[in-house]
Amino acid sequence: MGLLTILKKLKRKEKEMRILMLGLDNAGKTTIVKRLIGDPIDTISPTLGFNIKTLDHNGYKLNVWDVGGQKSLRTYWRNYFESTDGLIWVVDSADRRRLEDCKEEMHKLLQEERLEGATLLIFANKQDLPGAVPTKDIATILDLESIKTHHWKIYKASAITAENLLEGINWITNDISKRIFYKN
Amino acid sequence: MFHYIWSLINWYLRPFIKWVLRQTTHMCELQRICYGKPSGAPRTYAVEYSLRLSRNADIISLISYLDDIANQCAITIRSERGILEEAIRTVLITKKINPAAHPDFSKIFGKCVELIWGYRQLCVECEELRQIQYDSGNPVHEDLLLRLWDLLMPYDPLDARITKQWQGIGFQGDDPKTDFRGMGLLGLENLVYFAQEYPSAATHVLTHSMHPRYGYAFAIVGINLTSMALRLLKDGSAKTHIYNSSKTLPSLRAFHQFYCYLFYEFDGFWLESKPNNIMEFSSIQKKFEINIRMALANPSTVFRINLSVDNI
Repeated sequence: MGLLTILKKLKRKEKEMRILMLGLDNAGKTTIVKRLIGDPIDTISPTLGFNIKTLDHNGYKLNVWDVGGQKSLRTYWRNYFESTDGLIWVVDSADRRRLEDCKEEMHKLLQEERLEGATLLIFANKQDLPGAVPTKDIATILDLESIKTHHWKIYKASAITAENLLEGINWITNDISKRIFYKN
Repeated sequence: MFHYIWSLINWYLRPFIKWVLRQTTHMCELQRICYGKPSGAPRTYAVEYSLRLSRNADIISLISYLDDIANQCAITIRSERGILEEAIRTVLITKKINPAAHPDFSKIFGKCVELIWGYRQLCVECEELRQIQYDSGNPVHEDLLLRLWDLLMPYDPLDARITKQWQGIGFQGDDPKTDFRGMGLLGLENLVYFAQEYPSAATHVLTHSMHPRYGYAFAIVGINLTSMALRLLKDGSAKTHIYNSSKTLPSLRAFHQFYCYLFYEFDGFWLESKPNNIMEFSSIQKKFEINIRMALANPSTVFRINLSVDNI
């Protein structure tokens, strides 16, 4: 093991990543964050403004910015774009009515200059609900195939059962670290 | 460490001090509290502390009996008298107090028991109500929601049950039901109580929430405040207010009034803070909660909604 690798490893230990959680209101952003850090998830009120939570994951320090999704707050989303390494887009899979709306908002974000290069993780949340749209269909409706500007991946997920939450976080941290910490 | 040593000393020394005081004053600790402490929170806190530390088997079983019935929400206006009499009788016998010589003791002590276990029951009631999810298929829930609209917007009828109009009173989308996910019916009942019992205060706050610069989402803020009120209730911080303000068995009404006070005060606090935009909600809410907790740490605190704006 060369000196450089050791140094790289040491440096990696204190690596921080900035993750932005966005999505329409009632998608389950706060619930996912609380589930990940082990807080109770049954008393969550609609988020006004934002919450920041820190998550230690595989030696990375993830600063997760969970911003409220209600329509009147979306104009403020842009205040949080700066130096975002990863974007988690949360979809309420059971809310068929607003999937179109959800697609529009997401594609609007992807055109943002300040989010350029950020890794995109999509959680098709609430898959535990009986009326949930299958993940494959969500990928189609959101037109994910057309995204060429960002690395992206969609996960079938549920904040209630915790299905795939860690897998998703693993993927996004790996993708970010490959991109920013081992670039050279 | 200091805390540990202190509790150790307390454990061994307390019975001795109590014995000395009992010999010198000819009264048990509960009597000294009931006669010596001012009524309301200071006295009720002291009685609660004394009872919970008791090592007497009869007192211990009395406490667990009271805990049980409070947990089952079995203290009602009808059953209350019998329960209090039972508690008083147990204490009179175990502490060898002559009721004829101490006629006031029974009354004062009974009042404390009513507040302590009424509060405990109130926590259970609120939590049960919170766990009831808003159900659009339930006509009672639907009526309550529509009533909220009528109370707040009497001159502007709803076009449909699902409509963007709901955002006018600060719900997130066009169907409020999902906004109640965390606070359930408790959140809705809080809002309806505020609009119904303090109509001018509620309208006053609603108008502020529509301020072009310092506006906020009325209903969502309200639901976040339900969450805060419940947190203060369940961690015991709200005891000061409830013990000081309740003339009778603390009921859901007491919680609603506590909530109304918080909502009204939060509105003033928000405007005073001159926030740049709604994104500052979390930080301002935290500051507000610290202020409220500081006020509740003072045992004489009792919150009264400022009625100068109201007509009831």
